[in-house]
Amino acid sequence: MHNTDPNAAAAVADPVIEVEGLAKEYRVFDKPEGLAASVRALFHRTSRAVEAVKGVDLVVGRGEFVALLGPNGAGKTTLLKLLSGIITPTRGTARVLGHVPWERADDFRRRFALVMGQRNQLWWDLPAAESFRLHQEIYRIDPARFEKTRDALVDMLDVRRLILQPVRELSLGERMKLELVAALLHEPEVLFLDEPTIGLDVVAQHTIHEFLRDVQRRRRMTVVLTTHYMKDVAALCERVVVITRGDVLYDGSLAEIVDRFTTHKIVTLDFDEAPERALIERFGFPCEFRGPQVVLRIDRSRIADVLPEVLAAAGVRDVSVEDVPLEEIVAELFRSDTRAHAAAEAGS
Amino acid sequence: MNRYLAILLTFARACLVRDMTFRANFLLECVTSLGWMSMNLAFYLLVFTYTAEIGKGTGWSKEPFFAFVATGLIINSIVQAFFMPSAEELTEMVRTGGLDAVLVQPLDAQFLVSMHRIDFSSFANGAVGVGLLAWAVSRMDHAPPPVAWALYPLLIVCGVAILYGLVIMLAAATILMGRNQSLYDFWFYLTNFSRYPAEIYSGPWGGPLRMICTFVIPILLVVNVPARVIAQPFTGESWGGVAAAVIAAAASLVVSRIVFQRALARYRSASS
Repeated sequence: MHNTDPNAAAAVADPVIEVEGLAKEYRVFDKPEGLAASVRALFHRTSRAVEAVKGVDLVVGRGEFVALLGPNGAGKTTLLKLLSGIITPTRGTARVLGHVPWERADDFRRRFALVMGQRNQLWWDLPAAESFRLHQEIYRIDPARFEKTRDALVDMLDVRRLILQPVRELSLGERMKLELVAALLHEPEVLFLDEPTIGLDVVAQHTIHEFLRDVQRRRRMTVVLTTHYMKDVAALCERVVVITRGDVLYDGSLAEIVDRFTTHKIVTLDFDEAPERALIERFGFPCEFRGPQVVLRIDRSRIADVLPEVLAAAGVRDVSVEDVPLEEIVAELFRSDTRAHAAAEAGS
Repeated sequence: MNRYLAILLTFARACLVRDMTFRANFLLECVTSLGWMSMNLAFYLLVFTYTAEIGKGTGWSKEPFFAFVATGLIINSIVQAFFMPSAEELTEMVRTGGLDAVLVQPLDAQFLVSMHRIDFSSFANGAVGVGLLAWAVSRMDHAPPPVAWALYPLLIVCGVAILYGLVIMLAAATILMGRNQSLYDFWFYLTNFSRYPAEIYSGPWGGPLRMICTFVIPILLVVNVPARVIAQPFTGESWGGVAAAVIAAAASLVVSRIVFQRALARYRSASS
């Protein structure tokens, strides 16, 4: 673990997910090119071990909303699959709600839900109402409670009119809303979300954000989310776990990640007309000219001193000061890890 | 148990709703299935225009043989209706990661994997099988004794259990291999041996084959034992077949359960 907020793990009260040294290794067979090599491979295959998750340590408390961030192939989804008991680890331990996930005890599986944005879990040819009914049987939900929960969820997401329509006729956003309803019918204590907003338009994304935030707060549900959309993270999560190459690179609060990994703020100046370059460049900060707008990157330590001077520059009509976008911070984290890894490889 | 029955009924209801949504497809499946079966029956009728018995002194004359065929139809229709559609779908579920959703549900994975899809069109063959059995038994020289009628449903269940065990082992192979598109072909080749009376497997090649298909993969017990009980005179020797079928069914269920659980422990899931 490279950068962990020292207070993060210690501050976790009532831990619901406890992971120690969790690793998952896959054996991957090489597929040689060409006919002769393919025939040879029938008799002698070469394989190599790929470590998708490398000794992850993680503690998540009840009611936390945690984002797992990382580039493609970082091991986020593998970690979720380990925590939900779909796959068995190569080594390490994990307890979710007091259970070892891969033992797949019914008592454990009744208390969590997994929603995968890229996979459909509802009956494709039937209305979602049929899947909900099946869900009621599988999770043994009391009929009165089932109807109350279902009605509340479909009203929150405004999908009542859709539940009697075959799932295959629905849009991606509508399907995802119904997937969420199905996943929450049994009122899980832990919810694993794997890219729930992938491919959705901004309106659907916003609706799902509002819904998840509302349900999570009301039920004090623990949510672990993997996503590539920083909007999801900014809207929902207080804690961020950055994973690269199967290892935890950062574990801490969202505010901390901004403080720790950015050295500057973005200052946007609006002028009535395009300003003289020299007027702005004299401050010595990286700047970008966009007609009557100028974007400056000013050192955070100097912003209080420099900003009045900048504003004093003639003709500033409007100003905004923002943190560096989360996308940029996380991308830089990934890049710096790649550089460090390459340097270590070169050195060894 | 009641819960599993309730879930099975929910699956059945959902599958029936789906079949009724695609009525033309459902009717076509019924017609195709009945057509294939009719061609087989016509072929057997043709065979009996050349011979009075399948194998000399075996007792498989025309009516007993059709009782045999009817028994095969009943057993196969149950397997085709309840287990095969789900098992066939498993290949795709493993390849695409759809099995993940099964594994997170608080229900026995083997139950979900093998029974979530029910093919109602396969019952058409079963219904014809029952009719054919009634016709054949009514025309046989001897009437089956009450003990044969009592054992017959039990032995049908044993036959279904043996085939179910095989389906589950093929499903386990799918999970281990990640892809097993020849599952249905393999099933067809394997069950082909069960379609005929065991007596035809004799001689230097037939004898060993009969041994393998009785004691290693007990496919020959599936139809032969119940058919023999109902279509041949019931004697003291018949009890040996009954015991063999019961033991094979129990062994098939136990072994397939172990194999399936081990396969699930090695499930890799598909990349998202």
